[in-house]
Amino acid sequence: MTVTPTEGGGSTGTDGSTRTDGSTEAGDPSPDGGQPRAERPSVLVPVEVLEGESLPSGTPELLANAHVVLCGYHEIPEQTATEQAREQFGETGMSKLDAFADALAAAGADVETRLVFTHDEETTIDRLIYEHDCLAVLVPNSTERVESVLVALRGTVGVGRNTRLVAGLFADADVDVTLYHALNEGESPEDGESFLSGVRSDLVERGVDADAIETVVEDAAAPVDAIADRAASHDAVVMGETDPSVTTFVFGMPSEQVADRFLGPVLVVQRARPEE
Amino acid sequence: MVGPDASEALTDVIDADTGEGELERTIGLVGGLAIGVGTMIGAGIFVFPGLAAENAGPAAALSFAIGAVVALLVALPASELATAMPRSGGGYFFISRGLGTAPGAVVGIGLWLGLVFASAFYLVGLGSYAGQVFFEAGIALPIDPAVPLGVAFGVGLTGLSLFGTENTAALQNAIVISLLVILTLFLSYGSLDALGVFGAEHVPEGFFPPGGLLAVLQTAALVFTSYLGFAQVATVAGDITEPSRNLPLAMVGSVLLVGVFYVVTIFVATSAFGSARLGQFGETAMVEVARSFVGLPGAIAIAVAGLLATFSSANASILSASRAVYAVSRDGIVPEAASRLNLRYGTPHVALGLAGGPIVVLSATGQVELLAEVASFLHLVMYGLICVGLIQLRRESPSWYDPSFRCPAGFAVAGVGALASFALIAFMRPASIGVGVGVMLAAYGWYRYYATDVELKGDF
Repeated sequence: MTVTPTEGGGSTGTDGSTRTDGSTEAGDPSPDGGQPRAERPSVLVPVEVLEGESLPSGTPELLANAHVVLCGYHEIPEQTATEQAREQFGETGMSKLDAFADALAAAGADVETRLVFTHDEETTIDRLIYEHDCLAVLVPNSTERVESVLVALRGTVGVGRNTRLVAGLFADADVDVTLYHALNEGESPEDGESFLSGVRSDLVERGVDADAIETVVEDAAAPVDAIADRAASHDAVVMGETDPSVTTFVFGMPSEQVADRFLGPVLVVQRARPEE
Repeated sequence: MVGPDASEALTDVIDADTGEGELERTIGLVGGLAIGVGTMIGAGIFVFPGLAAENAGPAAALSFAIGAVVALLVALPASELATAMPRSGGGYFFISRGLGTAPGAVVGIGLWLGLVFASAFYLVGLGSYAGQVFFEAGIALPIDPAVPLGVAFGVGLTGLSLFGTENTAALQNAIVISLLVILTLFLSYGSLDALGVFGAEHVPEGFFPPGGLLAVLQTAALVFTSYLGFAQVATVAGDITEPSRNLPLAMVGSVLLVGVFYVVTIFVATSAFGSARLGQFGETAMVEVARSFVGLPGAIAIAVAGLLATFSSANASILSASRAVYAVSRDGIVPEAASRLNLRYGTPHVALGLAGGPIVVLSATGQVELLAEVASFLHLVMYGLICVGLIQLRRESPSWYDPSFRCPAGFAVAGVGALASFALIAFMRPASIGVGVGVMLAAYGWYRYYATDVELKGDF
């Protein structure tokens, strides 16, 4: 189930200590004793492994400091038994997935792979997010470089998961972080500023360079449009998931809308799941 | 009775990654019930009432009740086996593992052809309802459209399942739920009417037909096709979540649900019209019953409901037939090529062709009753052997046999279930028995020719 990334040439040449070489078991996020960082945030990366989808460029750099749960899946129509698809495509899928895992590991991430044959990709992705307790899911789009990240924050609820992710991924990666907050109804610009400055000091405490953080508070009529517009001048977006509602049913989740317009990688921060 | 831990552990072993990926289970209890009900309800309510009433009068309700009892006697042992072996393939899988390759091959090939016959039967019903819709719309057709339309739907559905990648499960659930709503309204009104609430007068009619109990039993054998769907739940056992709980509930629940609907339907239909009159209306008798209650809107509602119901039955059966081909080919009883998947569409094109081709040919014959009886024959042989398999497995108690659902009074239920299944065959018409026996002999002949070196007993 777990793949130990092969020793890529890149890791030995640079700082070997940031690589974890031991294999990691599911649900055990602390792989080795001498960790250089407090915690690698787990990020789920879904890939439709047999649809000719390859790992988008920029993904290994973006997730260099992450614990990546690489979820290869193959969605099959209901007229086909999942067993039947595994029998025929399992080996091909696994070897493709391993190649992706090697690319991620070579950039510094530690990688777990899962390959799932399913009739419903949402069920599968949802289950794996839960099983691996992932902080975020990547909408895998390509980017040329990872130098600046837009972090869209809605409010104080669950904001700690955003900061854990951002700090974990970008703390000493020389990446500019823009914290963005669209004012909620009845919220004054001062409230917004103080919310973001709280987040900022949390990030600094977690090791992000204070000079690399910029904050933007805006009174936007349509936050989704505003985020998508701003995203154009960044290389990646971090944002939260939203409760399903009629609006999300019709227009799709805000994160999906942003991803569709931005066309770059979006990290969707997952809410904490209630304990079973 | 249900120990989720044991079976869920077993489920984990089957789905877990063997170096080639893991499997996701995506069908819940509602989905399982929808498969069972959706496969069954088309035949029992929308095709058989006219034919059954003609043969057995109001006692056709008893024929349907007998069918329900036989189906339940098989559904319980089948549930136990399914929780012990939650794998795709259903009855074929249980029998080949419990009783050995030869019975397995006969049942596996028989199941494929049984579903082919059943699909052809549903398609002719579907054609009748499509023709009825044309009729209600005021479009006159020069010939009886049932058979040509049935053939056209057969070709269309096979094509759809070859290339269609959209999820049909959500559609199936929606169809089943709207059917149940329409039928509940219709049958409630009909029952009140039959009991004289609306002051309608009814011609008193003797409960038993002139043929007596024999006619009732013969009709039970004919209409048993209305109960074939519960075993389809077992053919997708590999996709069902929490199989230890959901498999038995879906199988037993769907039989109980449709059984009640069938009995009430016959009661309502035979109260609205005399049995002979119903018989003249043929496959679409229910449309006339609805027309007699609420006029044209009722007729249209039931004609459309019949279209949906027979469509969902036909579709589910074609898909099950292709799963049956996969199950035997995975075990090497037929060449492996039969289960090849098309990477682009993810569908088993050879298996679907092996199902769709003969289905189209058979539906062109238009022999509704023969098709229904041969389908029932081949299924009943499997049901009987499922019961025998349960007895065998319980006696041998191999180490891998650890069902989380145990059929209450297992030996008695399975024993009676086996006897009842085989006995029902005896009441079929000689032509149907002849075709059924022919198919079984051919299947056995194929096994002797191709698969004598395959050993499946206990291969789990």
